[in-house]
Amino acid sequence: MIILRKLWNNLHLFMALPAILLFGLFFIYPLAQGIGISLTDSNGMSAPRFIGLQNFVDFFHDARAKKDVYNTVFFAIGSAPLLNLFGFLYALILDRPFKGKGFVRAVVYLPAVISPLIMGYVWYFILQPDRGFLYHLLENLHLGTGGSDWLGNAHSALIVLVFINVWQFVGMTMIIYLAGLQSIPKELYEACEIDGAGYMKSLWYITIPMVVQSIKINVVTNIIGSLSVFEVIMALTDGGPGYSTESLSIYILRMLYGSFTGYSTAVAMVLFAMIIIPVFIFMRYINKKEFEM
Amino acid sequence: MKNTRTFGKYALVAGMSLLSLIPFYILLYLALNKPSRTLFNGLSLLPDFNFSNFLEAWATSKMGLATVNSLIITIGGAILIILAASSAGYAIARYSNKFHQSVFNLLLICMMIPAIIITVPLYTLMKSIGGINTHWAMILLMASNGIPFSVFLYAGFIKVLPREIEESAIIDGCTPFTSFWRVTFHFLRPVTAAVVILQGLAIWNNYGQAVFFLQGQDMRTIPLAVSMFFQQYGAQWNLMAAAAVIGLAPAVVAFLIFQKYFVKGITAGAVKG
Repeated sequence: MIILRKLWNNLHLFMALPAILLFGLFFIYPLAQGIGISLTDSNGMSAPRFIGLQNFVDFFHDARAKKDVYNTVFFAIGSAPLLNLFGFLYALILDRPFKGKGFVRAVVYLPAVISPLIMGYVWYFILQPDRGFLYHLLENLHLGTGGSDWLGNAHSALIVLVFINVWQFVGMTMIIYLAGLQSIPKELYEACEIDGAGYMKSLWYITIPMVVQSIKINVVTNIIGSLSVFEVIMALTDGGPGYSTESLSIYILRMLYGSFTGYSTAVAMVLFAMIIIPVFIFMRYINKKEFEM
Repeated sequence: MKNTRTFGKYALVAGMSLLSLIPFYILLYLALNKPSRTLFNGLSLLPDFNFSNFLEAWATSKMGLATVNSLIITIGGAILIILAASSAGYAIARYSNKFHQSVFNLLLICMMIPAIIITVPLYTLMKSIGGINTHWAMILLMASNGIPFSVFLYAGFIKVLPREIEESAIIDGCTPFTSFWRVTFHFLRPVTAAVVILQGLAIWNNYGQAVFFLQGQDMRTIPLAVSMFFQQYGAQWNLMAAAAVIGLAPAVVAFLIFQKYFVKGITAGAVKG
């Protein structure tokens, strides 16, 4: 009885337990197993054999994988800076008081409500060669439709994909920056004004340092999101033409469907490393910067 | 001078809004056109206002069933996330010890791991617990995906919440556990709204895991049902769009209900801490 009483009074020490158990079972445990599987030639049929780092050696000789790494990195390097730039500009514009501010914020966020898969289908309809929405619009306005096969070659298709991603998730980045802007005490700006600093100066010396927490969240989530992209690409180009716009995540899925389980999991581990390394470098850099300020 | 500036500002804001509404226009345009008019021809930007696509999409792809499946999984997953993540956030923020600190750090690192990389072992796990094609296993999985970021938000918010709000309840005879559910939990509404929007949408739109673990026809969620129009029936644009609009409507409505608290929740939970 006394033990029960004691337990009841100290129940708060166990309040993290449900979350830990859930996450442990559905994430940590499979992750640990995944590391094991990536060291085997598992193919879903014969018994898996331990082959050490062979999958990783194969990865570095896999031309298709190299192309996928290039595409994935291209997509991320295009997306993350643009998302932050436009998200920040949008937040600056929508932070000022005007009528209908809340409405516009909600509308700007709305594209993020649509699943990237459906978004990919919508843009496919707009951009289809010879019969898409944009093609007909250009034709009817007599603006010329030359070179309208935007999805037909790898480079323009990748640029289109970056554009769609930035345009869809700019609202999400904006919300995080808006939250940061709203936590800046107004007195700071007043002090700055008394000192005679202009808008640009106060932006550089007050606004940007004060939203550093938002910058952290946005950059990290954008790195993660863009390096693991797959739905929008599947819907828009399906990785094509050929494998020319395939991302690493799509490759992982396709290897899975092809029963190359061991190899697929090894590629997944490479993707994990590709995400965690830039995130750590960025966090170290920004924490040092923050310390200096 | 002042008038042109105001005008310029409103023009800019109107432009931003219109740009964001393009996909909604395209989806409605397609969904309301007759099947003969999938393409944009002529300069008429108005659709045919043909509502039969909705009925046909509803009938052919079992959209009703897909909506029910999506609702069960999303609501179940979101409730589980709110309960588990808020209480974990409370324990981490208020009763800091080595264990809680390392749990928090582990969750932060795991936030960086995309769910796709554990698909294979997860499939084995789901099979061995009999979770393939079931609502309950999908709910648990979706909740687990949402745990790290939600704990991060809740812990950040509770850290800046004054301790006094629980202390008075504890003096009145509550334990720290009961005072959380009776008092503190009600102060967390802004974060809960942010969690509902972010995680609810992530679950509602989940495709990458649903495609593996909900393969049965009767278990399909909305993203799976919509993608069927692309794969099985060869790009039926009007029906695809109608199905997408049906699937989008609940998400948009939920977003509009909760968005009032959204910025506040993010401000308090993530940015200040």
